[in-house]
Amino acid sequence: MLAFLTGPMFWIALVVFVAGLAARGVWYVRGLNWQLDRVAYRAHPRAGIRGALRSIFYWLVPMGTRGWRVQPFMTVVFFVFHAGVVAIPLFLLAHTVFLAEKFGAWLPAMPQPAADVLAWAAAACIILLALRRIALPEVRILTDLQDWLILLLTAAPFVTGLFARYDAAGYESWMIAHVLSGEILLIAAPFTRLNHILLFFLSRAQLGADYGIKRGGLKGTDVAW
Amino acid sequence: MAEMSLCNRRPVNDEETLKALLSDTGGKEYYKQMESLDVDTDLLWSTISKTMNSRLKTWLSLCAHCGMCADSCFLYRISDRDPTQVPAYKIQSTLGEIVKRKGKVDNAFMRRAMEYAWARCTCCNRCGLYCPHGIDMGVMFSYLRGLLYQQGFVPWEMKIGAGMHRVYQAQMDVTDEDFVETFKWMVEEYEEDYPGLAVPVDKQGADILYTVNAREVKHYPEDLAEAAILFHLAGADWTVASKGWELTSLAMFAGDWEACRLQVQSVYDAMERLRPRRMVGTECGHAHRATVVEGPYWAGREDGLTPVPSIHYVEWLAEALREGKLKIDPKKRLKVPVTLQDSCNYVRNHGLRDIVREILSYIVEPGCFRDMDPSKEHNYCCGGGGGFNGIGLYRAERNKALITKRDQILNTGAELVVAPCHNCWDAIRDMVEEYHIPVKWSFLKPLVISMVEIPDHLKPKE
Amino acid sequence: MFKHILFATSATEACDHAARVAFNLAREFGSDLTVFHVMGIPTRGFSRTMVDVRTREKVEPDEEYSAWVCEEIKTHYSRELEKVPGCDVCVAVGYPHREILRQAREKRPDLIVMGGTTGSDEDSPYRKILPGSTMLRVARAAPCPVMVVARPAASFWGGISSIVFGTDFSKASDAAFDYARELSAFVKGELHVFHAVDIQKEGIFLAQDMVDARLREAVNRMRGRYGSRMEGVDNWSVDAWEGFPPVEIVKYAREKHADAIVMAHHTRTETEEETRGVTLGSVLEQVIMRASCPVISVNRHRKTG
Repeated sequence: MLAFLTGPMFWIALVVFVAGLAARGVWYVRGLNWQLDRVAYRAHPRAGIRGALRSIFYWLVPMGTRGWRVQPFMTVVFFVFHAGVVAIPLFLLAHTVFLAEKFGAWLPAMPQPAADVLAWAAAACIILLALRRIALPEVRILTDLQDWLILLLTAAPFVTGLFARYDAAGYESWMIAHVLSGEILLIAAPFTRLNHILLFFLSRAQLGADYGIKRGGLKGTDVAW
Repeated sequence: MAEMSLCNRRPVNDEETLKALLSDTGGKEYYKQMESLDVDTDLLWSTISKTMNSRLKTWLSLCAHCGMCADSCFLYRISDRDPTQVPAYKIQSTLGEIVKRKGKVDNAFMRRAMEYAWARCTCCNRCGLYCPHGIDMGVMFSYLRGLLYQQGFVPWEMKIGAGMHRVYQAQMDVTDEDFVETFKWMVEEYEEDYPGLAVPVDKQGADILYTVNAREVKHYPEDLAEAAILFHLAGADWTVASKGWELTSLAMFAGDWEACRLQVQSVYDAMERLRPRRMVGTECGHAHRATVVEGPYWAGREDGLTPVPSIHYVEWLAEALREGKLKIDPKKRLKVPVTLQDSCNYVRNHGLRDIVREILSYIVEPGCFRDMDPSKEHNYCCGGGGGFNGIGLYRAERNKALITKRDQILNTGAELVVAPCHNCWDAIRDMVEEYHIPVKWSFLKPLVISMVEIPDHLKPKE
Repeated sequence: MFKHILFATSATEACDHAARVAFNLAREFGSDLTVFHVMGIPTRGFSRTMVDVRTREKVEPDEEYSAWVCEEIKTHYSRELEKVPGCDVCVAVGYPHREILRQAREKRPDLIVMGGTTGSDEDSPYRKILPGSTMLRVARAAPCPVMVVARPAASFWGGISSIVFGTDFSKASDAAFDYARELSAFVKGELHVFHAVDIQKEGIFLAQDMVDARLREAVNRMRGRYGSRMEGVDNWSVDAWEGFPPVEIVKYAREKHADAIVMAHHTRTETEEETRGVTLGSVLEQVIMRASCPVISVNRHRKTG
């Protein structure tokens, strides 16, 4: 079972993930329209790219934007959570070994204690995000089933992974659950809001280009995100 | 169902229809008819299919429902943090729902959507700066307004405003003749004080083509005189167009994109006809956004630029002061605490935050300027933007919406608010009337005239 | 001289004295009279709403409303209207001074008659718009003379036979003189040319020698400047007094039993003060508030055509 999941199933999941997101990305970019969006993308490529990169950069920096600064709690939770969900899958020692097997190239591995701290912190942030959804009326009113679903999809590989690490007796079953949930996550990504893995960058770039071209960029004003 | 006389899907294209609408005081009958206006769901869906591209669709589906936009919205903040005022909720429950139901929505839904589109969003675009995904809900609301307008679900004043543009190419019933005549009248009134003052009409190849807001012509033509005086004192080579002089666009507030196109095209035609080096518009925010920022796209100009470079009045004024064409008498600078109202439409949406402050550095005594908090591109809407000021149906909501700005102003301790935007100026005027706060408010022109040095050769001979 | 009179009124008691004078003038000289009332001030941006200046309510004017206001005005002035049949009543929406000037530009009246300030009432809708009174704004820019009747005492009035012209030797005063002379000739009345020397300069009282010198100089100047231009006026005099100028003019007018005071309105100083948001009591404004007869403000030479 584990062999199938880490073998063919891994490849299927990865292909769905990559191809699905790529298709989503191509559809997005091709759908942009200078007149409907009212942004002259083609006429001012330099200003557009500059605006796009600024927009992405400042939002990737913790406290890099006013939006992040005015909501410090959310920002900390958000960044720890995302650091966990990005770094653990790629840089956990076990994962780098696995990926090296598949691709033949080694990603640098993070020290185990750091990985433990990050994993637990991320798991805690998942709980905080869930609590936030319930506790804050302005978030509760927006929340729908898919929000819970993707939170669950994201939590599953973490929880199962942590159990696999500490519960030696049930290792095999936890690993199956772990790999399976990870692959479900990959497969679901293009079809749910998890597609923000890619679309975050594209959407940020689009608004950045808007500000970079139309809303002041050509006037020489860089918007203070 | 027979088509109704006042509230229907037809845009106002002639004077007669306009008069009929106007004579329906307060839109009473109009809104009554709206209650039985049917929704053309096929048209709605086909329009969405044609005009809703990947950006809008992605914005709707990508929203992570994180609620970080909530606090960015001044309407949410002054509504006791009512969750139904969260920007993401407002757009998801209107435009999002229409898309989800493939346009199959009913009259009650559309009337609720109208309230959301015009009384719960001023299209100030502030929320767009606070969404991690870069979702600009103001842009989506503007799109929603377009759909609602097409279906006839639009506030009475907006229907009239868009109609005015279609009939008069101006936001009020001011004809081209009225415009030229009023400008000449104003110059006559002031020419004794400023010898040589004149208004060059339709001059070819001038440095500056000046465009105005029809309300100046109709109600406070002093503004025209003030513009003429400052151009005159600065020795500017300027002109006005006898056709295509109106910078504003209530059609933009209404979501009548065809009228928007007609309106800006009339100004662009004037540019093409007179070939000025550049265009300078009056102290108006939405007008600048309509004609300079968004207009090129309505008119199908692929470079997103106007036929000749177009700048806001504050840009011209800053230039004239910087280059010494207008000299301020330092003794006459403003010595009371002064604050500045940043107009969303050209500060957040056109990057002119520093230029306005440069002007203030010339006309305000050092140490007297107090910025609002937050300010610049993060400033809040005055409370009356996007058409909110003018809609009688939502007067109570608009008055409440002024609270944010009122408190921002009071917190600065300023006695004078410089408001180089018609909409902001109106909102602050109403705020003073509504809440009795002890502040004065002003455009830049009268302030500058009161402190500018008149060059010797332009002084009247006594 | 009085072919067409434009009477701009707030249609409240504040303008009743002015009304008496306007209707009397019209009757005496057989003038066409237009009673003009700015019924509402636009508010709320581009909305249709206006504040009714009398009821102070927010209303949305339409033709019906205008017609109703016209009727109200006709009722208010019913007694006067009986004496001047065929008088035109019209109303408009806008900022009062601007709409009055617009009427004046359209109808080209020979004279605008107005009441004084509508009072110090802070709540008055007139006060809302801009600092400075409607009257001063109209007087500053009007294409024709503006007669202001501010006090009841100024309106008990039988006709024009004695005219006081107050001068400060400015260019605007020349225009005012021409009007005063023409008016005196028209009514075959007396014309008294007057100048007041301000005994205070920047808060310091001038020495009497200096004052005397100035008085002599002023009298000579008036004789030189106006004496040779008295065509059509048989009975004229020249005088200069010292003191606080507005009060001196009012006292002088009382002594001469003046039926009207003609003065120039100082454009430039007024503009500067207005735009800065302060209206200092100009000499003209002080005279208007104190005079026991109508005050006619003349700003410029009458435009022909």
